[in-house]
Formats: sequence, C-alpha cells, structure tokens
Amino acid sequence: MSGVNLTKESLAFLQDQFRSYYKKSDLSVPDRFSRREYAFVFFGGKGMLRHLGFSKKKQFQAFLQKKAPMHAYYSTAYYQYPDAPRMNEKEWMGAELIFDLDADHLPDADNITYETQLELVKIEFIKLVDDFLMNDFGFPIESMELYFSGGRGYHCHVKHPSVYQLSSGDRREIVDYITGRDLNASVVFHEESMGRAQIKGKTVSTGKRLRMPKPDEPGWRGRISQGLIDILEDIVQSNDPLLKLKGYGVSEYTAKKLLDDLSENRILRIKQGHLDQSTTIRRFFLNNALRKKAVSFAAGETDEPVTCDVKRLIRLPGSLHGKTGFKVIPVSLDTLDDFDPLSEAVIFDKTPVLVDVGVDVTVTLKKETFELTTGNQEVPLFVAVFLLGKKLANIK
Amino acid sequence: MKPLNTLARYPFLKDAKTYVKNQGIAVTELIKDPLYDRARSIAIERVEHAFEHKDVGVRQLSKESDCIMELFSYPLSRMITCCINDSYFTRRYALGEAVRFYKNLIKENTFFLVDIVKEFNLNIQFDGENQHLSIYFTDYLTHAPTRYKHWKLVNRELQNGYISLSSKDLSRVTQEALRHRINNELLDKPCHELIQKTFSEEIQRLQNKIATQRKNNETIPVGKLDVKKLPPCIKRILADVQAGENVPHMGRFALVSFLNSLKLSTQDIIDLFNTAPDFDEEKSRYQIEHITGGVSSTSYKPPGCDKLKTYGLCPSEEIDRICKKTHHPLSYYRYKWKIENKRKKKKSDKKPNKKNEA
Ligand code: SF4
Repeated sequence: MSGVNLTKESLAFLQDQFRSYYKKSDLSVPDRFSRREYAFVFFGGKGMLRHLGFSKKKQFQAFLQKKAPMHAYYSTAYYQYPDAPRMNEKEWMGAELIFDLDADHLPDADNITYETQLELVKIEFIKLVDDFLMNDFGFPIESMELYFSGGRGYHCHVKHPSVYQLSSGDRREIVDYITGRDLNASVVFHEESMGRAQIKGKTVSTGKRLRMPKPDEPGWRGRISQGLIDILEDIVQSNDPLLKLKGYGVSEYTAKKLLDDLSENRILRIKQGHLDQSTTIRRFFLNNALRKKAVSFAAGETDEPVTCDVKRLIRLPGSLHGKTGFKVIPVSLDTLDDFDPLSEAVIFDKTPVLVDVGVDVTVTLKKETFELTTGNQEVPLFVAVFLLGKKLANIK
Repeated sequence: MKPLNTLARYPFLKDAKTYVKNQGIAVTELIKDPLYDRARSIAIERVEHAFEHKDVGVRQLSKESDCIMELFSYPLSRMITCCINDSYFTRRYALGEAVRFYKNLIKENTFFLVDIVKEFNLNIQFDGENQHLSIYFTDYLTHAPTRYKHWKLVNRELQNGYISLSSKDLSRVTQEALRHRINNELLDKPCHELIQKTFSEEIQRLQNKIATQRKNNETIPVGKLDVKKLPPCIKRILADVQAGENVPHMGRFALVSFLNSLKLSTQDIIDLFNTAPDFDEEKSRYQIEHITGGVSSTSYKPPGCDKLKTYGLCPSEEIDRICKKTHHPLSYYRYKWKIENKRKKKKSDKKPNKKNEA
C-alpha cells in the first residue's frame, strides 16, 4: 500500500527525525562488534552500502548520527576481515542462528489489517520459540535474543555456543524439522501386530493395530497427534461435519458411519493414542489428506533462506525501520503475549506536524486510532513519521 | 588400557596409538625391518581392500603376533594412502576404515560403544538402566547421513536438544565421525619419502587402478543423457553425487526426478551414481525407485528454479543466459537441444547443396 512519491522535503524530514533519535539514544552494539559486517540504506539513496566494518563503538555511533540511515543491518556471521569487499575474502568464522517470521508469508496477508498480521505472526513466533527452539532443540531462553523487527514480524537470534559453526546444510535440517518437511508418516503411526484387539468388548483377531503417539509425547510424535485430534474436534464440533469430511475426500456414506462411530468415549480413547476404535475410524486416520493437514497444523514457520544462509544481513537491534519509523526492540517471551508493537516500538513524540495525506487511511498507533482523509492536516509526530515511511503522505 | 586384540580391531583409538608408541619402534624400522614384513603386506591389503570393497577387511587375530602386526599395519596404511596422493582414493580409504569400524561396533555391547564414542567428542547421554541412548543434535547433524530420508532430523525423536537413537544408529554416526576424522587427518599430509621408495611398485599399481576406473567412468555413455546440455544446478549436483559428497535430500530428489523425466531408467541412473566412494547399489536403487515411482505408485515431478533457489541448489555464480530465459531445469535442457537441432539442420541443409554443386 503506497500512495505518494516522497518529496525531497519529506525525505529530509525523516532523516532529521532519525538523526535526532540516533543522537539521543545510546545504541548498544552486537557482540563480536568489530568482526561483523555492517550495511546501510540511506534516505533517497539507491541500493545498499555494504562491507563496512567498525573497530570502535564510538566511531559506529558517530556514523549513525551523521548519516542517519533509513535502514541499518549487521551480519549474523562474524569474520576475520568483515570489511573485505568480496565475500570469500572475509574469512567466515561462525554465525548466529537466525529465525525471521514475517507477515508476508501469511496466506492472504493483503486482506488483513496490519494489526492482525502482527498478531498472527506473534502467535507463530511464540510457538516457534517456546515449542520448537526451547522444548525440542533445548536452547535455554538466555541463549536467545528476540526482537520485534520494526516492520511486519519478529526475529530470533540464537546465540548458543553450539550453533555458530553449523553449516548451511545443517541449518537446512533445522528448518525442515520445524516446517515438518519430509516428515515420514510412519514415524508417527505404526502398526503393532497384536494378533488380537478389543473391539466392542469382543476379542477379535485383527492381525495389526494402528497406534499413534499420545499428544503429550515429545517432539513431532506428540505434535502430529495433537494436530489430528485438533482436526477431529474441529470436524465433530463444526456446524456441518459431513461437509468438512467431504473436504478430506470422504464419501457421504463413510462420513455418516464415521460420525456414528465417534462416541465421546471413543474420542477420549483416541486422545490416548488408541486409534483403532472401529474399521471406519482406522481407515480415516490412514487418510493422506488428513495427515498432510495435521502436519501443516502442527508445523512451525520460519523464513527458510534467512535461517539457512550463514552470511545473512539482519536488521540491527536498536535501529529504526525506515518504512515505519519503529524501533527494533527486544521482547521477552514472558511478556510477548501482551506485547503491542504498535505502541511499544513507537518512539517519536506527539509534536504536531502538518502533512498532506495522499490516500484515505486509518492507522492505530499507541492505542489511538487516526482516521485520515486525503488533504492537509496536523498529526502527531509519530503518526507523521509512520505515514511518510509508508509513503502515504508528504510533509507540508 | 584395552586388551590387545581390541586395539588390533580398533587401531585408530588413543590406546592403540599409545601402545604403538610405547613399543618404541622407529618409522624406518617399520618400513624396512624384515620383522615387520607382515605388517607391511597387511597395510597394502587394507588400502587395496578399501579401494575395491569399501572395507579394509578382516584377518585372523588369534595370536599375539597377529594383533601386533595388525596394529602396526594401520599407520603404514595411512602413510601409503598419503603417497597415493589422490583425494578420491583418500576418501575411499577413510570410508573403508570407517565401514569396518561400524561392522565391528555393532557386534559390541552398548557400554563398549559408549566408551568408544567418547573418543570422538560426541556429546551423548546414556541411561544404563534402560539402555537409552541419545545424542546432542549438532553432533548428529555434523555426522549423520541426513541425505537419507529416515536420517533426516525431522524423522527423529528430538527432545531438549537430544535425539534418541538405537545403538546401531549411534554406531553408524560414529562410523561417519571416524570417516571425517581420517579424511581430515590425511587431507594435506605429505608423503613420507621412505614409504614412496619402499612401496613404489604398489603405489604405482594402485594409481593405475584409479586411473583405469576414472577412464571407464568417463567413457561409459549414460543412456540418452547429454551431460553437456545439463543446466548448472543439475550438473553441480550430479558431480557432487559422483564424487561422494554429502548431497542433501532435496538435491538427490531434484537430480533423480530430473533424470527420470528425461526417460532415463533406474539402471541408467544407478550407473551414473556408481562412482561415489560410498555407493550402495541396493539402497540407491530403492531410493531412486521411490522417486521415479518404481516403489510407490507416484512418480514425482522435478522441482523448478524457484524451489531449487530456496533450497540453495541454484549456483548463482554459474547462471547463464539460458537460465535467465527459463524457469525450469527441464526447459533449460530442452532449450539446449533445440538450438543444437537447429544448428544441425542448418548444416545438413547445406550439405546436399554442396553435393549438388559437385
Ligand atoms: S536458474 Fe534454474 S536452471 Fe539455471 S541453474 Fe538455477 S535452478 Fe538451474
């Protein structure tokens, strides 16, 4: 959504505001500061200035204050020679493990509001950090830094000593694990040859029996079970279970039978991992479409190339995002639930500023909603910066 | 210190090294003294067996002298390998040692295994009571053959950073750790002059063997495939597979499904892969057939440029003019055919004219 071309005055205004921020703030720098590569995009500039290295923190801050860049990045990798002009001359020494969740991956992102996008990404992000990175991968929370990206998502920097040397291929394995790619269904479902099974109180010879892990089992085993149970509940509780079942390619006859079979007691037993409650139920769990859906229900998300790339540039914590004016701020897992980026990452004050709005737009910042129509009007500074960054208005 | 015949079976362990050192025998003695004739011939056997059968082989270890000769043969084998001075051969030798290691390991009990694993600095947890083993995931990633689907992290049980695995699987991971270790140790080691002199004949013979094998591989026409027309991505993956590099699952998948679309049979594809040092025909056949639809009933479509790019399989430095025009490796290949056919047609159009003139 962009409406106007920014005028020279608008660009200068933004840069001034950014500069005043960099002058006031005592920006902390990344660890291994002098081993990192830095890169910047400037207001009104073309392309990115890369391959910069700084040896002193003072020098770095002076640079930010002088140039007041639109975007600031640092390399997740650290190098022997971070400022070498060619990648292969830098001599890679290691890299953080990065996860980047951004709203542009959401299905249908364009049809939901910015607020909702951020909310949805946040839920995914919590799942990624809490469920995958902490529970499965065992990273202690102290080894991770979490940030609101200043744009449409969140970043997680894993700085555990075990990750720095991981190759790109190793990181790919981690991504595949999180997204459930290439997951073997047989890991989850196994047929136990029981010879006998209890069905409707009678002992029947079945030869085989389908087992699935309990939803509280660790890792993917429990996760996919939970996914299946969620789907099952979703079907049973929906207004039109038959229609839902048809969506999985189940015929009407079988669907009816299945719903008949699914007594509360049976659902309870299914939750304990006993899938073989009847032939129809068993066959249903072997349904391919259903399994795929369960995997996608349970899977985590992350921007794959970002995680796999061992020489990635990522937005500098504490810097400002040129398209919103928001600050890249740290967030903590404990308070993430209540975290409202559209208040907490907004750093400019309320000084009134006269702007020329190019499109009708509603923005909610700092819990205040501004319904703006095209034309000249006064808005608080933080709204002005946001509108200009998004190219929705010019300075008057 | 472990018993002598254990050391003989695992001559790369620290204890074995200490034992050899403690004997106080100079390298020159080992190479020259008739006393060690047997150690020297075992050394050659090790190396040759590794090259031909991917396994350094087994010998009798009933007498003390058997064990000692076996132990001494190991450093000699390594030195000979360095003098052969061929990275493919070195990889193959490392594989041979590692495969034998694995075959021995799976016969041992879990306590022994756990003890050995310590030497490889693998971070594992062992619960002796219920014999439950697990390994820290980064060590797993470094060594496990994740190019095979069931070894992929996603198909393993991961909790709190540790992956549960059977003692057999841990043996396999340790096999890879040994392979990597020997490979790295021998990589840039110079050839000992005296070894070169003493074993010159054998070294020459082995070098010839490598050369012949290379030649054979080059001249084998691979079905209907014209390697020159392959797009950079596929060319790269194929070269890696042939060199026995660790190609990720997606890479193998892209390659096999691509070749399958060109109507290469499973056998054609196996022949193409056959040069990898750790090539396992049966396993490969199964995997290939899985992709081509020989095992399950679905045959998969090869991935396009977009997908290859996200997987980091598109070598951006090698992209050429045709890449920019096409969006799929298959269209790249077909496009190259088209240009060639046009060219041929032009030529053949000209030829009859010339004849007419004559
Ligand atoms: S552009 Fe496509 S065809 Fe060319 S190398 Fe990349 S993936 Fe292969």
